[in-house]
Amino acid sequence: MSLEPTPLSAPAVPTKPAPRPSGPALVEIDRLNFFYGEKQVLFDVTLDIPEKQVTAFIGPSGCGKTTLLRCFNRMNDLVDVARIGSGEIRIDGINVYDPRVDVIELRKRVGMVFQKSNPFPKSIYENIAFGLRLHGIRQKAKLDEIVEHSLRGAALWDEVKDRLHDSGLGLSGGQQQRLCIARAIAVEPDVILMDEPCSALDPLATTKVEELIHELKEKYTIVIVTHNMQQAARVSDHTAFFYLGKVVEFAETQKIFMNPSNPQTEAYVSGRFG
Amino acid sequence: MAIQSPPEPAVSHSVRKQLLAPGKFRLFGRNRDWWIKMFFEGNAAISVVVLLLIVFTLFREAAGFMPGNRQNLEVYRRAGLEYVDILKRQTTEYAALGRQLGAVRLAWLQKLRAQGLDLPAANTRLAALDALDSRLAEAIGAHETILSEMTEHASSVKERVTVGQDMAEVRRNLLGGIAGADAAHAAKLQSGADAVVLETIDFVAEANVLIGRFPELQTANRNLSAELASILAALPHSGDPAIDKPLARFGDRLADFGASIPEREAELARWRADRPVTFLEGFNAFAFGREWITASFWQDWYGVLPLFFGSVFISVLALAIAIPLGICAALYVNQVARPWEQGFIKPYIEFISAIPSVVLGFFGIAMLGETLRQLSQVAWLSWVPGFPMQERLNGFTAASLLALMAIPTIFTLAEDALQNVPKALREASLALGASRVQTILKVILPAALSGITAAILLGFGRVIGETMVVLLCAGNRIAIPDLSLGLGVAFQPVHTMTGIVAQEMGEVVRGSLHYRALFMVGCLLFLLSLGINYGAQKIVRRYRLPQS
Repeated sequence: MSLEPTPLSAPAVPTKPAPRPSGPALVEIDRLNFFYGEKQVLFDVTLDIPEKQVTAFIGPSGCGKTTLLRCFNRMNDLVDVARIGSGEIRIDGINVYDPRVDVIELRKRVGMVFQKSNPFPKSIYENIAFGLRLHGIRQKAKLDEIVEHSLRGAALWDEVKDRLHDSGLGLSGGQQQRLCIARAIAVEPDVILMDEPCSALDPLATTKVEELIHELKEKYTIVIVTHNMQQAARVSDHTAFFYLGKVVEFAETQKIFMNPSNPQTEAYVSGRFG
Repeated sequence: MAIQSPPEPAVSHSVRKQLLAPGKFRLFGRNRDWWIKMFFEGNAAISVVVLLLIVFTLFREAAGFMPGNRQNLEVYRRAGLEYVDILKRQTTEYAALGRQLGAVRLAWLQKLRAQGLDLPAANTRLAALDALDSRLAEAIGAHETILSEMTEHASSVKERVTVGQDMAEVRRNLLGGIAGADAAHAAKLQSGADAVVLETIDFVAEANVLIGRFPELQTANRNLSAELASILAALPHSGDPAIDKPLARFGDRLADFGASIPEREAELARWRADRPVTFLEGFNAFAFGREWITASFWQDWYGVLPLFFGSVFISVLALAIAIPLGICAALYVNQVARPWEQGFIKPYIEFISAIPSVVLGFFGIAMLGETLRQLSQVAWLSWVPGFPMQERLNGFTAASLLALMAIPTIFTLAEDALQNVPKALREASLALGASRVQTILKVILPAALSGITAAILLGFGRVIGETMVVLLCAGNRIAIPDLSLGLGVAFQPVHTMTGIVAQEMGEVVRGSLHYRALFMVGCLLFLLSLGINYGAQKIVRRYRLPQS
């Protein structure tokens, strides 16, 4: 999806912070400016992510939505040239880029599901037990219990309960992705980040994952990046539209799709560009 | 009205002509593409054929070894050398007893001198021991006389066998020439062949000459037993535990020797010159023989065990050094290093393999061996097993250099294996809250394990086939080192399979048993390398990660 110059006027920075949707905010992004080397990729992003709801980030490729997502659990630290220019991301009031923050604890609190399913080349059981062992859970009974609980939580238990000790790589694409979700929820995070979780899945598997997202929001705050606008409309409660590193509009999903206030948003959601 | 066919377009004719036109280049009815294909196919075929020829030659030359060695062993038995060797082993052991007593005497003498006695006085004190020493030396006299006479006899029989084999060879050659020669020449060859006298040796009669000495030996054994018992009883005491202890050890060994006399006698009595040498005996003499003795006036032995041991020993030692270095370097470069470090370290390590092995060997002799020897003499390092080193050139010197040669192989392949681990696994692990070290140890390393195992195996293949460094630096002593030294065994000189072939192939008589023995060693090396490489490929295929 390349970004053609459009007849639209250059995106204007919203004059005031995007309206805060209903619900208490768990993650607050406050005037975040983010750079790869000299190149700025996020401009003054301000968003409040409400707790125990699904927030979708939409927008054309290269608009910075995945970059923002990877700031939540500081996965951008892996990129040498990535740096925060100014601004903060606060989870439960704590700035995650505060030097005193323990990144390991942060990543335990903020789980992530990737675009391409990436189970470890270990058994299904070990895939889930991995994170638990990292966090010091050693007792077999406890591990068994959490593994089952997580697999049930990811709607995978019935399909794999007879072959927990087979390789996770032997599962189908959709099952692998649900295994990755189970792996993420096993350590009981507060936030789950999903980076285009269904882009490599067929429609049937996509439906299953979407149903799962719907169930998960009862317990977790979910942020999902997607290219699929129907998906955003189906699964999310709130939607943020990104364009060229800026939040153009952030509102309840229904409003974004039915009655967007910004003409760019309207152009995008109606498929006129992107 | 006839249906008119539509007029043919003008262009179609030329298209058809072009479609059907033969290519410009034709040779023997083939076009250019065919010849280019043949060129590449031919190159591949030449490599395959050459390899097949090499393997075929290797096995053909080695094939004669087993029957040849069996014949060799048969002569050893028929001519009675085996019989004499039983006796010889006994006297060799006995000589060791004498040396042990000599060592005790020396220690005692030094003790006495330290107590302030002058040399004559000390010698006087040791007179009783000296008397025993000379009795010990004399007691074996009868055996030695019999042994030297029997040795002479057996040697002469073997000599006759060897001459007989040579003459038979001459005769065969003369007769072989007849076929292609004209009548006059053929007659000359025939008469020459007839003139060759082939002696038939009555092995049983010759063996009986040896066995005929048996009653004499029995008498000698009885006398020896009695004398040993008497020496044992007369063994003096010094009153000093530092001397009495080795003295008691000597006594124990003396008693053991005395007890073994009847066994030896029984062994001699059982021996038969006409017992056939089985194939298994011949095979065991090669595969498990502990001696490699060539061009000996007495008996040649081709036991590959010390060489095999040496090769494997040095390789394992080299890998013990190279595996941690190579794999840790690969992990660092792949997982931790910054790009400019990668750009520096990778070519640098790969450059090591560009050093010619003879240069490394030269370095090993001139620098490493000498430095290690001096280091081993430093007093506060004496806790290291095997220090101070007795030999400048030993297994460890060679293994260090071999490790250097294996590191590029292991490093490069291990790095490739790590590179092949999908980056997504690393992200998944980090996103779950694993630290960098946990990610490397628990996710990346296990995922790359098959590739790393293959890297190690190929490194093993690399070092076990290496010749020049081991020939120059391993010390080349054909013997299994004394394993009771524990880890110090690393500093013992050894010889290797590759080294022996390189060393002896140049001066060996073509077609001789020795020549074939060297080819056998070559075969063994070939099979070993083949097995290692096959295993490595198997592992890589079996555990290949799904590629993303």
